[in-house]
Amino acid sequence: MTGQAQNPKRFSISSVVDVVQARRSGLELALKMGFHPAEANKVAVVISELGRNIELYAGQGSITVTPHTEVKGQYIEIIAEDQGPGILDVARVLKGGYTTSSGMGLGISGSQRLMDEFEIHSVVGQGTRIRAVKRMQ
Amino acid sequence: MENLDITETSTIQKLENLLLVAVPRDLTDRDVLKLRRQVLEETRRYHSQWVLLDFSRVDICDSFFGRFIQSTARMAGLMGANVAVAGLQDAVIETMVELGMTLPNIHAVLDLDDALALSREGETDDGLLAMESPGHAITDSLSLDSPFDDSTFIPPTEV
Repeated sequence: MTGQAQNPKRFSISSVVDVVQARRSGLELALKMGFHPAEANKVAVVISELGRNIELYAGQGSITVTPHTEVKGQYIEIIAEDQGPGILDVARVLKGGYTTSSGMGLGISGSQRLMDEFEIHSVVGQGTRIRAVKRMQ
Repeated sequence: MENLDITETSTIQKLENLLLVAVPRDLTDRDVLKLRRQVLEETRRYHSQWVLLDFSRVDICDSFFGRFIQSTARMAGLMGANVAVAGLQDAVIETMVELGMTLPNIHAVLDLDDALALSREGETDDGLLAMESPGHAITDSLSLDSPFDDSTFIPPTEV
């Protein structure tokens, strides 16, 4: 996907407080772009779910939220990156109901349902990069 | 009404046989677990038969919040109390449903007046957000797939 990126916002994630701040900023950014509140809410929840995963599994990482404008419309891109243990079985995580800690087993699979695009690149022992896109309806 | 200020942002009030919990926004996961314990402590302390979780201030409700509602209801149920939710915003509901949350055995009410009416009547069936009430609009929308399976929380009882 190509498009003109505008002022990406990067949030360092290393605590539950960071997750709350990132999702709040994501909600405000999406609303400012003109997303419907229900769509903006989904952006915020996905940031929350991905941020929680970083905090739980990797300990630290980052979430970058970038507004994009292209001919076909606007969209918001969320990139969650960490250098944690990685995901052993990505397909199983995407299917849902899988957790190895006090997580929900719903975060990744549910996030995928909320987004228009959702990609996971993970290498065991090296880290995880998740890219999610929500288009303005 | 007796005020039981627990934190700067959350308020738990006893009202008749109802425990009214104003859920703050922007809670961390730690805060959510802390709030659940406070709710259970106050439920026991006041022998409340109903717990009303007021979500009108909450504008972001992720899966952890869903677990909070679900687990609080299960735990309060073991204490003999019913749990109702009120004030869920439409944007929040849409996300919760699409995320795949299930909220069996949770009552939904419009506001405090409805909750009081429900608690006074002692009803336990109408308004349940569970599959046994397929004709209820909210029931339909909140009874989807992907039940939670986290061992930290008590899993829902499928009906």
